[in-house]
Amino acid sequence: MIQLVDVGYRYGSHPIFSHVNMHVATGEFVFLIGVSGAGKSTLLRMLTMELMPQQGRVTVANFNSATIKPGEIPFLRRKIGVIYQDFKLLTDRDVYDNVAFALFATGVPRRRIKKRVFQVLAEVGLSHKRYASVPELSGGEKQRVAIARALANEPFVLLADEPTGNLDPESTEDIMKLLFRINRRGTAVLMATHKALLSDLGPSRVRRIENGKVI
Amino acid sequence: MSLNLTYSISEGVKGLKRARFATSLSVSTMGISMTLLGVFVLFTLNIQSLVSHVRNKVSIEVFIESGIAPDSLEHLKQAIQSVKGVSATLYISPDQALERFKKEFGSDPLEILGDNPLPASFQVQIKSDDRTARDIEKIAQSIQSLDYVDEVVYHGILIQTIDRYSRIIWIVDIVLVVIVFFASILLVSNTLRLILLAQKENIEIMCLIGATRYFIRRPYLVQGIFQGLFGGIIAAILIWITVKLISAFFPHMLSFPSYSLLVLVGIATLLGFFGSWLGLQRFLKV
Repeated sequence: MIQLVDVGYRYGSHPIFSHVNMHVATGEFVFLIGVSGAGKSTLLRMLTMELMPQQGRVTVANFNSATIKPGEIPFLRRKIGVIYQDFKLLTDRDVYDNVAFALFATGVPRRRIKKRVFQVLAEVGLSHKRYASVPELSGGEKQRVAIARALANEPFVLLADEPTGNLDPESTEDIMKLLFRINRRGTAVLMATHKALLSDLGPSRVRRIENGKVI
Repeated sequence: MSLNLTYSISEGVKGLKRARFATSLSVSTMGISMTLLGVFVLFTLNIQSLVSHVRNKVSIEVFIESGIAPDSLEHLKQAIQSVKGVSATLYISPDQALERFKKEFGSDPLEILGDNPLPASFQVQIKSDDRTARDIEKIAQSIQSLDYVDEVVYHGILIQTIDRYSRIIWIVDIVLVVIVFFASILLVSNTLRLILLAQKENIEIMCLIGATRYFIRRPYLVQGIFQGLFGGIIAAILIWITVKLISAFFPHMLSFPSYSLLVLVGIATLLGFFGSWLGLQRFLKV
């Protein structure tokens, strides 16, 4: 389902990692732990194919980095949910519109959009804030909106790039609980973080990224 | 209408509201330049109508040698009519010429000279397609070379002047059309650039959550179309008001047929579309 085979990447003359082999199976929770600058985000960006491996190949569902065409990349991204440290919400829209946008973009009929938005907002515990504007929300709430948006299209995997990096300990715990709950329902989670202790909060597999290798 | 199209239109309209200042500037500038263009085209149409009125009056006077036999006169008439570009001939006998002279100048040459000095002539009408100075000169030369023709007279300088000025007006028209078209397209395209810069982060997010490039681009195309449409409507209203005001002073002035204002709005809308399309090609790399 997600597979990296002999993957390498460098920024200019600076190698980030090389000969990386890794996989994430259906329903798994995998932590990718490493210090800042180790290449965690670069690796996740290869899974969304924002970056293409300069060596080896990345396979996500039926999409292969060696053969994918630029026009197919949006369709790959619809099968993946992604959340970020800085949330990446549309700040000029309210909570409902942020989540609905992911569904509009994929051509879901309007009547189904409303139902699905309410469903995912309930799942992340934000039904009561559905018409709040983004700047009104706390960090934890913003990340919940981002998670709701990521889940809207029922992805098979959720990629989380330092999702608790901007959160206080209480919100961090809430978000981790939410991610483990989502995982228990069958969605795989690949979470990149520098906080190794987070992996103790639930059943998971841990891979470390250091010195350009994933071990 | 598909859901995506409804969504694109509603997002496009929202985008226009968000970039209110840049949009109003672009719409009003476009409206004013289209108005200038429209008024100038109207001015040209009026000038052309005047020119064509003057051209219709242009004829060639062919004076005939005195003492021509009736048979030869008939042959000459046929020969003139067979010259390319001649539409009709009217024979004016010396007596008819004398009557005209009396009417126009109020005096009788017979009283002074005791004899009618005026020659017989043909008034030659020119076909509407052959009324340029060059055509008329050619016709006059052909007629001059015929037997029994004494002299051919026409208003060559007047026709040359009309030709020259109407050519200049058309050139100014074409230059103005090209300038306004390019300016409008660049205006919409640059306004879109400002909008895209402000929306850079949102566009990046859209890409990351799997929106296709067409889905991302469509609302911006809608914005360009609306900019053109509003600019065109402003121009149509301003031109209509201008025409009404001018007509009050010049009642015989030609007016735009009402459908041409719709055509103007259509052209402005198309310009808006091309402007935003160009802006997306230049400034949106998704």
